[in-house]
Amino acid sequence: MSKYAHEIRDPIHTFIHLDSDERAIVDSSPLQRLRHIHQLALSYLVYPGATHRRFEHSLGVMELAGRVFDVITKAENIRDESVRDLVRPHDSLRLLHWRRTLRIAALCHDVGHLPFSHAAEQELLPNGWDHERLTVKIIESLEGLLAKLEPPVRWLDIAKLAVGPKRCEKYAKAGDLPSNAVPFTDWESILAEVIIGDAFGVDRMDYLLRDSYHAGVVYGKFDHYRLIDTLRILPKAYEQESKEPALGVEEGGLHSAEALLLARFFMYTQVYFHPVRRIYDVHLKDFLSEWLKGRYLGDRFPTSVNEHLALTDNEVTAAVLQAARDGQCAGHEAARRIVERDHFHLVYQWNHDDAKTNAAATDAIHAAARDKFKAENVRRDSYPAKSIGVVFPVWTKDERVTSSFGLSEVLQRIPAAKFDLVFVRGGLEKEAREWLKRERTAIITAKAREETDGTARA
Amino acid sequence: MERLERDAILIRLIEALRKEGSWCGETHVQKATYFLQAMVDVPMGFEFILYKHGPFSFDLRDELAAMRADGLIALSVQNPSYGPSIVPDEATATALKNRYPKTLGQHEGSIAFVVKRLRDKPVVDLERLATAYFVSREIERSGDAHARAKRVNELKPHISVEEAFEAIQSVDSWDHEAKSLKQP
Repeated sequence: MSKYAHEIRDPIHTFIHLDSDERAIVDSSPLQRLRHIHQLALSYLVYPGATHRRFEHSLGVMELAGRVFDVITKAENIRDESVRDLVRPHDSLRLLHWRRTLRIAALCHDVGHLPFSHAAEQELLPNGWDHERLTVKIIESLEGLLAKLEPPVRWLDIAKLAVGPKRCEKYAKAGDLPSNAVPFTDWESILAEVIIGDAFGVDRMDYLLRDSYHAGVVYGKFDHYRLIDTLRILPKAYEQESKEPALGVEEGGLHSAEALLLARFFMYTQVYFHPVRRIYDVHLKDFLSEWLKGRYLGDRFPTSVNEHLALTDNEVTAAVLQAARDGQCAGHEAARRIVERDHFHLVYQWNHDDAKTNAAATDAIHAAARDKFKAENVRRDSYPAKSIGVVFPVWTKDERVTSSFGLSEVLQRIPAAKFDLVFVRGGLEKEAREWLKRERTAIITAKAREETDGTARA
Repeated sequence: MERLERDAILIRLIEALRKEGSWCGETHVQKATYFLQAMVDVPMGFEFILYKHGPFSFDLRDELAAMRADGLIALSVQNPSYGPSIVPDEATATALKNRYPKTLGQHEGSIAFVVKRLRDKPVVDLERLATAYFVSREIERSGDAHARAKRVNELKPHISVEEAFEAIQSVDSWDHEAKSLKQP
């Protein structure tokens, strides 16, 4: 007799539990492809252990999504009547359906990733495309398989929970989703928040734990068992009695929530924003923009499902190695830099002091460096601060909903992580640093004065 | 509109809301920015969607986070039981505003229009009014007030048809007033 319940061993969650229906999705080609997409792109050139793939991350996100769903829908964990109406904890068939939908959406949330994950997405996909839009298309392509599950699940529900309301709105406008896919109901919004939410999304929980484990950077750890046990759906009553539901925590879980958000800050600043990791991404982008020329329509990554599924890190790595050896190959110079570890070097990074003088200080330095050292010898990479999820509802021991921000001095002090870096070609870094030491103040203040004099885009 | 120019308008909006007594949490800024863009056409370029309790822009949320990281605004706890207020940093915010005198001058009237109508509204009212306006503009464009109120209730059942109708009457009248503001 064939087995219905299965377990997969995992270094982060010990076991990933799944049933035969879910295993059919795991065994499908879009999921199996993720075995060949590195979770952290070329970060293994800096952290040699960080060679893990999107496949195991996707399994981990599915496992955590199921755990969170079970906690937040438990009747005894519901603290407010408006939330009871939303969850309907005694409608067990409905909950079973949504539990399955949520877990499969969590499993599929990354299937649209390009080779080497985020490294080249913005510049190297056609306009209007991102990996989430590819995710939606691939989930739609699984419609036949999803319909065979017992009970069947709808691809549209999976797609909505996997990419969330913001992107679905965009894709509905583009005609990729039916117009009635939006707006989300509150229930759908909460379930999407379970996967991709800013504060407690299981995508983030899994990648912090997994990336820190593989990179060998302990900062990413936090007590996710305690955190998940204390998660609740709560109204944001701290906003003048608003009833808007959001994921929050019991007061007993507040320290675990603080630890998660601190882990996020440390992992961003130490691993994801590591300057050498970033410059390898830039070199990879330089390589890909040459390699793609003439290969696909518009010299960009393809957006048809079949062509997308045929491309993994393996094909790109083979091309990088080949191009590094052969000076005639497209992208030779960038490939050589990656293979021979001849990367550009950091000469300037965004900082508060300069930003106080000129909010566009990095723009000014970058432009001046290009003038001084020629554009081909200068590179820039940046990532703006994103919402850091420090404000969420907390159910206090005296049975009130209050704001996490008021309760936690730790949350009040966690800075938003961002970076904006300027690099120059190896061999120029000493000269560039000396030049910058001399010219820095003049460059930054000159730009500020120019804008004040009326050349701002008003 | 470029990012810093947009930030200067947001800072001016936050200052005006605070000066008029608004508690000025994230929801206040979200809904006021929505009206600023949608009702009086200040072209800030944020994408708003009809989210759980009204129009919401994830881009604006990210922008506020970026402004906080850049030291342009801070989150301040007025009362530990409530969510934080958004407060501009005097020095950096003033420096930024000083760069865009034309832009701010051009939109000063629009900011005042929105702030005058929203300054004393609690979050629940803001959610209702902004939802009513979003449905009127984006979803049920051709319907009369009753049809739009019904649609608001269908989409957001926590707003009764009566509450939705009242909100629609308010935003219809504001919209009418806004037309005179937009005329050259």
